[in-house]
Amino acid sequence: MTDEASKPAATGGLALRSRKGASRLVQYVLLQAVIAALCIVVLRLPLPEPPAQYRVVDFTLSDRDTTRTVALPDFLDTQFSVDEPAASYAGHFIWSTREAGRAWSVYLPRFTNGVAVLVNGVEILDSRRDPDANRPDRATPEIALIPASLLHDGSNDLVIRLYVWGPISGYLAPLFVGPDDALRPACETRTLIFVTLPMVFAAWRGILAVILAIMWAMRRHEPAYGALAAAMALGASQAFLQTTVDDPRHPHLNAALIASGPLESGFVLAFGILFFTRRWPRVLGALIFVPGMLLALIALFGTPQAVREYSVILGLPAVGVHLALLALIVAWSEIRRQDVPGLLLGCAVTIVLTSFVHDILSVAQIIPDHRLFFTRLSYSAMLVAIGAGLTWRFARALNRVDGFAAHLAIRLREAEEKLKASFAREQERERTAALARERTRLMRDLHDGLGGQLVSIVALSERGEAGGIGEAARAALKDLRLVIDSMDDIGGDLMLALGSWRDRVAAQLRPHNIALDWHAVPPGLPVYPELRPWHVIQIVRILDEAVTNAVKHAGAKRIAVSIETLKDDTGEPRGAITITDDGKGIAPADDAADGRRKTGRGLANMQNRAARCGAALDLISGSDGTRVRLKLPRRFPDGDAAAG
Amino acid sequence: MTPSSDAPADRDITILLVEDDPPTLWRLNDALVGAGFDVVAAATLGEARASLETRAPRVLLTDLQLPDGHGIELIREMRRRSPDTEIMVISALGDEETVVSAITVGATGYILKDAFPTDIAATVRELVAGHSPISASIARFIVRRTQAHAEPPPGPELNTAKLTPREIDILWGIAKGFSYAEIADNLGMSRQTVPGHIKSIYRKLEVHTRGEAVFEAVQQGLIRL
Repeated sequence: MTDEASKPAATGGLALRSRKGASRLVQYVLLQAVIAALCIVVLRLPLPEPPAQYRVVDFTLSDRDTTRTVALPDFLDTQFSVDEPAASYAGHFIWSTREAGRAWSVYLPRFTNGVAVLVNGVEILDSRRDPDANRPDRATPEIALIPASLLHDGSNDLVIRLYVWGPISGYLAPLFVGPDDALRPACETRTLIFVTLPMVFAAWRGILAVILAIMWAMRRHEPAYGALAAAMALGASQAFLQTTVDDPRHPHLNAALIASGPLESGFVLAFGILFFTRRWPRVLGALIFVPGMLLALIALFGTPQAVREYSVILGLPAVGVHLALLALIVAWSEIRRQDVPGLLLGCAVTIVLTSFVHDILSVAQIIPDHRLFFTRLSYSAMLVAIGAGLTWRFARALNRVDGFAAHLAIRLREAEEKLKASFAREQERERTAALARERTRLMRDLHDGLGGQLVSIVALSERGEAGGIGEAARAALKDLRLVIDSMDDIGGDLMLALGSWRDRVAAQLRPHNIALDWHAVPPGLPVYPELRPWHVIQIVRILDEAVTNAVKHAGAKRIAVSIETLKDDTGEPRGAITITDDGKGIAPADDAADGRRKTGRGLANMQNRAARCGAALDLISGSDGTRVRLKLPRRFPDGDAAAG
Repeated sequence: MTPSSDAPADRDITILLVEDDPPTLWRLNDALVGAGFDVVAAATLGEARASLETRAPRVLLTDLQLPDGHGIELIREMRRRSPDTEIMVISALGDEETVVSAITVGATGYILKDAFPTDIAATVRELVAGHSPISASIARFIVRRTQAHAEPPPGPELNTAKLTPREIDILWGIAKGFSYAEIADNLGMSRQTVPGHIKSIYRKLEVHTRGEAVFEAVQQGLIRL
């Protein structure tokens, strides 16, 4: 029954989940396609150019032995060394003396790898001295003022020497010669986009690298932060390291630079794996870093030529594979559980991937090639976005912790108040119960003693037996005194209660001419902080009973009361009260059946009272007297077991 | 405990007995007359005052709750008019407060209503001989007021500041049921001096009319009884 019922539900749930997953996949892919399309549109947007009238495109190219006419842009496949120009482009521009008041410049928007510019045979610019311009991944523009003394009316010679050292082929974009103020704005825009912006991103990444490294150091169980910090640090240092023209002199620097791309993308992929899957595949994980390490080794020990070749055939595919894997992981994670950071990262990866494909196609000259590379730029932006997003997430987590702490404090206060209230209630209840118990005991004590005695008085007076009335009334008064006396706060000092008792006993014995030997060994009895009035009543009643027995039944002439503190077996002080008389003994010696029964009941009563107080009573009676010894407990019991 | 030889004979001791409850009055009167004292009985404050006009007694023995006033007033008048008269109050049970209140206006002794006749006579005789009686409960009542309490215990205000540490030790001893001899041995003093100390304690607890404010305050405290 349950199996049949649960099966369709399970398959139904599965189908629902897969359907949901499929729809999510479609949504995700569509979104990424839109983003890629937008990205392509943005990439194809034309950059601002100076007025076309200053454009110089027609040149005579001297490439070693051959000479031919070319129109810029021109690609030059041959590769040479840094020091030797690959080719020399000779052209002309017109300058008239009417322009004498304005400064003229030569503006080269884009070239690879290096240029030297000569006007009328005099060199005015060598880009190889500008480290930024030596990096093929940065589309650094160059602009150079032409000294006015070089210019002459009419046609002027312009020679561009192009230096090519790879890894990509030589390139020279259409250049401009004209008034400086007409050319410079376009140059500034390109500088901003292709030089300044990457530096800003790099600085930002440096800061994030520090933040993430600290975060990782504090939270070692989250290596994702460490991987991202490594990627950031690598990227930041790469941006600030400069390529030298004569690379063999700094092989380590060169190696680091060339390996940085694949290593960095490897770290980003590692971050993606750790962050989204929370697992680290040991073998495959190590493979991620193989291309980067290989490149570094080649850069350290190989020839410059080999380095350039391998950085293209090994480095670029590695970066591409890393990006593609990252895109897949993010997409997979996003379809499984949708969340904002994942979606943002997915879009960022799509942008970077689109830029990367665009750049590769552009280098391969499959699409029109302007030698403008956007991969690193978009990738820097992506890393900054990730870093900022993580920091934001971290701050939000901190806020949540704060909120949680505040919430906890509120809950704690609430709980505390509740507890206080319940404690107060409990205390009140306890107090009421204690009062009720106390009242019950007082009632019972009054009833036990006073009530019975008053009833006896009534009975005696009705029978006209005046003789017994006095005795009964005295007993009633004595008992009333005892009850009132026990209500007084004696602070646990039983001696204070016994002091009053002594007065009463002395008054009781005087008419009978019985001597009272009171022997208290200072300091008397220990103090019992837990002593309650009902304990006092029980103890005094026991003592009263003992004295009454001695007077009425034993016919004693002398009663001795001894109060002392003894040491028990464990060395603890224990109070003891002993009443000794010189009478003829009670119980067995008493020949009157009625008297025996009475004393028997009295003895049982005494034992009972002693037990209720936790005290031990032992009674030795013989023909030469009786000794009643009451050993007080170490601690008086709180509850009254016999009270019910 | 026996009266000293220079003590006056019982028949020379005049007693003014003021008690409104007839059986109690008979009982006390019988006990005192039986012992040979010269007793004048009064049932009200008015009768007592009328009796005082003719003669000041050696001993005033008065109840406190009287039909036409409070025994405290009578004690005050007596202290003023005849400082040598010994004043005792008649105490019911469990009213240490009443006794101590009477002490603060000048009483130096008390008698329990249900005391045996021989005890009643003996107490008067001892008081005349200069020995103030004191029970364990009275001692306890006084001594508890010498202790520092967060809130003062109920009952009349009692200025115990004048009591010496020795006197307080004696009170503790009495409250705990030790005999005068045991107290004296324990405190390293002569046994004969203990009763004198007790009289001195009573005197120190008496509030003399130093100022109306104190007097009124005490009176307020007493009237509330």
